[in-house]
Amino acid sequence: MSCGKSFLTDEIKALIGAKSERRQASLFEIEKEGLRRFTQAIMDPDPRYWDEEFAKSTKFGEIVTPPIYCTYLNRTAPGTTDPISLAFDADPLSDGIRGVRDASRSDDEGGLPNIPYPPELPATLNGGNEIEVFKYPTLGDVIYAQSEIANVHERVGRAGRHMLITTTETRYTNQDGDLLCITRATGLRREGS
Amino acid sequence: MPVTTADELRTKEQLYYDDVEVGQDLPSLEIGPMTTVHAFRWSAAIENWHKIHYDQDFSVYHDGLPNILIQGSWKQSIMPRYLKDLCLPNGWMWKVSFQHRAMIVPGDLITCWAKVTDKYEKEGLGYLELDTGMRLDSGVESCPGRAIIVLPIRGGREVPYPFVPPSED
Repeated sequence: MSCGKSFLTDEIKALIGAKSERRQASLFEIEKEGLRRFTQAIMDPDPRYWDEEFAKSTKFGEIVTPPIYCTYLNRTAPGTTDPISLAFDADPLSDGIRGVRDASRSDDEGGLPNIPYPPELPATLNGGNEIEVFKYPTLGDVIYAQSEIANVHERVGRAGRHMLITTTETRYTNQDGDLLCITRATGLRREGS
Repeated sequence: MPVTTADELRTKEQLYYDDVEVGQDLPSLEIGPMTTVHAFRWSAAIENWHKIHYDQDFSVYHDGLPNILIQGSWKQSIMPRYLKDLCLPNGWMWKVSFQHRAMIVPGDLITCWAKVTDKYEKEGLGYLELDTGMRLDSGVESCPGRAIIVLPIRGGREVPYPFVPPSED
């Protein structure tokens, strides 16, 4: 516990408002097979996702995707050296998550800068998510995403432990620039016990 | 229980703003009991290879978890799916927020729920503020949150698509 000291450094404050490039967030166009697998995995039989004739009769006028489908479309590009094999070559006890691309990844070219959290704040927690939806993608759409470090602020918990709370906002658009949805992810970095 | 079959979703009748009161519980959605196969199907669908979602030995003996875990990303997709169904055919699920609290593991039965905490009209449309969550059959709340959905008012204008938020927001 660190009383009287702030971990919200000038270096971190300077990153508030930093944006990634607007980057392609779906490897390919949205297509029926990927949509089928996704909607069955969330147990949503909605015919708006697969029945073209019915979809034409809805307010959408065409097949659409579930509200935040467009946030799950980052994939490893074909031709890439297999990231799973690389992960397990490096560490046979890998937890298997390496290689999954994320629109907000900070170590990708054009991505968000890494936030230099102080080593005194080693614990990472998911502080929750907010999603705002404006339009559903349709078949053939290509998805783009641009992320921003929307805010970083500091809070001191009841036990006197400091915590930095980071909100990362990502705007998803289609190939025409139509805004589809905005996600705001809150991450917590706090002092260890 | 709200609609859960394709035919019911084709023919779902519109819920109107006029017919909802503050304090009202909206129809819930029951999902489960969850299994390892549900979790594996989601991992495969979105290519989430984190072993705690399908490798029980790794999850229990390496990471010290009680079982494999149902993915937070799956929970994050279920709440919008539930709220979307409530709004069909012509309403709109505008905002949803939630926190990941209790873990969901195989065997859990999930009830998605929503309770109306406020209602107001803006620019000819009906807005409902909701408390939401995913309650487990043990009584534990796994995913508390809030949402704003937009419903048509009887005799009023259509909810626009793409959705246009009210001007003051």
